[in-house]
Amino acid sequence: MSVQEQLATEVAVAEAILQINNVTRTYFMGDQEVNALRGVSLNIYKGEYVAIMGPSGSGKSTLMNTIGCLDVPTSGSYHLEGVAVNEMSEDQLAEIRNEKIGFVFQTFNLVPRVSVFQNVELPLIYKGVAKRKRKEIVEKAIASVGLEDRAGHKSNELSGGQRQRVAIARALVCEPSIILADEPTGNLDSKTGEEIMGLMNRLHEKGHTIILVTHEDEIAEHANRVIRLRDGLIESDTLTAG
Amino acid sequence: MKLYLDISESFKIALSAIVANKSRGALTALGIIIGIVAVITTMTAANGLKNTFRQTFASVGSDVIYVSKRPWVQMGPGFRFRNRNDISLAASDALQQKLLGRGIVNPSIGGNKNVKYQSKILENINVSGTTEKQIIVSDMVPSTGRFLMPFDIEYKKSVAVIGSEIADGLYGKSDPIGKHIKIGRNKFLVIGVMEKQGTSFFGGPNFDRQIYIPITTFGKTLGHNGGRANVNIAIKAPSQESMADFEFEVIGEMRKIRGLKPAEDDDFSINKLDTLLDAYNNMMGAVVLVGLIITSISLFVGGVGVMNIMFVSVTERTKEIGIRKAIGAKRRSILLQFLFESSTICLFGGVVGLIFAALLTKVINDMLMPASLSPAIVVSALLISVFVGVVSGFVPAYRGAKLDPIEALRYE
Repeated sequence: MSVQEQLATEVAVAEAILQINNVTRTYFMGDQEVNALRGVSLNIYKGEYVAIMGPSGSGKSTLMNTIGCLDVPTSGSYHLEGVAVNEMSEDQLAEIRNEKIGFVFQTFNLVPRVSVFQNVELPLIYKGVAKRKRKEIVEKAIASVGLEDRAGHKSNELSGGQRQRVAIARALVCEPSIILADEPTGNLDSKTGEEIMGLMNRLHEKGHTIILVTHEDEIAEHANRVIRLRDGLIESDTLTAG
Repeated sequence: MKLYLDISESFKIALSAIVANKSRGALTALGIIIGIVAVITTMTAANGLKNTFRQTFASVGSDVIYVSKRPWVQMGPGFRFRNRNDISLAASDALQQKLLGRGIVNPSIGGNKNVKYQSKILENINVSGTTEKQIIVSDMVPSTGRFLMPFDIEYKKSVAVIGSEIADGLYGKSDPIGKHIKIGRNKFLVIGVMEKQGTSFFGGPNFDRQIYIPITTFGKTLGHNGGRANVNIAIKAPSQESMADFEFEVIGEMRKIRGLKPAEDDDFSINKLDTLLDAYNNMMGAVVLVGLIITSISLFVGGVGVMNIMFVSVTERTKEIGIRKAIGAKRRSILLQFLFESSTICLFGGVVGLIFAALLTKVINDMLMPASLSPAIVVSALLISVFVGVVSGFVPAYRGAKLDPIEALRYE
């Protein structure tokens, strides 16, 4: 029984948040045609904790960019909460990223020069949330990652682990459908990395859908479903104990 | 709500970016400051010139029409006007009859003479033979004594009303009224001194060096025959509003008086303040335009400086643009952010430039001419600087706004 069928029977009531159907992505590097994805089909359901793995050049980054609505497929369809993303304009994609995707990057990607509070507030500003409401949400998000006493600090005054916590708080404020973490521990020492993974696990326990992109088995072990990519195709898709 | 948020937040982001790079922002603004100072000072100086011109010719009166042999502002060869018949005093009287009850007609003849009191001589003084109506059409009154009266004209009295500079020059501190003055070879009695008009500019008439005597006496004593002398006729219109109609009427009556056939051109000229102002505007308009073009070049150079810095700013923040886009910034938000940055720099330059321009204008005002910074100039300076900011920021901002988020995120 395939994973899809298994999941469909196990969690019959669960809705597929994300449906990717035969997606390809081709781009050109100079004259050379690169087939980064060569027909990937994938469903991810609400509350899942998925790790996407694969060596470099496997199409893992392209798949992540596609799932994160930073990129659109060359062919095939991608539905996020039932909405066809592959037909959207750039600004519509920005709106989807804002409201449905929470990014956590390897290099944290906080906006320099501004405070922790302002960094976490940013997605809400782009969403158009009123100031008073924003303050309430941001304070709660910062508290949930344990940085209440750092809210006024600039991002360059924080340690790597703290920066990643800020990034996670920022990913949470718009209550996204998916938290998309790209090598979230890649720039951290193993102890801090474990702390961050602990935080991710807690988010999963609270019911968040999490997609991890990683090449480290240790990190992937936290997930309860592992998808391996090779040469632009899904090599394996297995459920683990998590 | 969303657009308001977009605008106010973009503005805050822009401000913090400028604050983070204070000296760069200030240096960039310097180009705009210099440009605005140059453009605004040109504008205020032009206004100052215009004010001076108006003041100088205020005595011409905006509701007065002058009928003369020659036009004040002469275009083309002069012989056409030289060969015209002189305008006679009789023509002036006839015109007064026709316009009776509507316009006030004042004939005058002018000539330059040397004037003398005891041993003091003033050379080349403009002597004007006129009537009691002079003070109505030219809006000037004596400060002491009296002006000419109808009986002075009627009885061809040898009386004179002198300008303040002549009073000072010939009589010093003593009161000239009741004393004699020698105009050419004839003795006149000083009956009044005109109030001081102030110095003139632009080669306009200096009314403080002017003597008024009865027009009837002028012909008799200064060598002209009153009937043949070339008279200038000043006609004060009944009201400012009816000027245009009144001018047609004056032309019509003058044509009848001069006996012109319908096909013939006017053989006299109509002059008025507008004629002078038009001539001034024609001449100064071109000068001011050239000045503005030259000074605008400095503003343009300032704008290029802003554009340059905005390109640097966008490139420097490629990664930041990528982050903002990843978490939901639309192209519009990025565009606004950078447009606000460039226009804030320029607006700052505009405000500082205005302050310097105001100081310069004050200096010009104190030393040269009545220049001032009008609200219209202030508003246009601010609008121009914001406009320069938007124009020079647009291309860099647009480049930033259309960056691909994936590539921007990868940028180090």
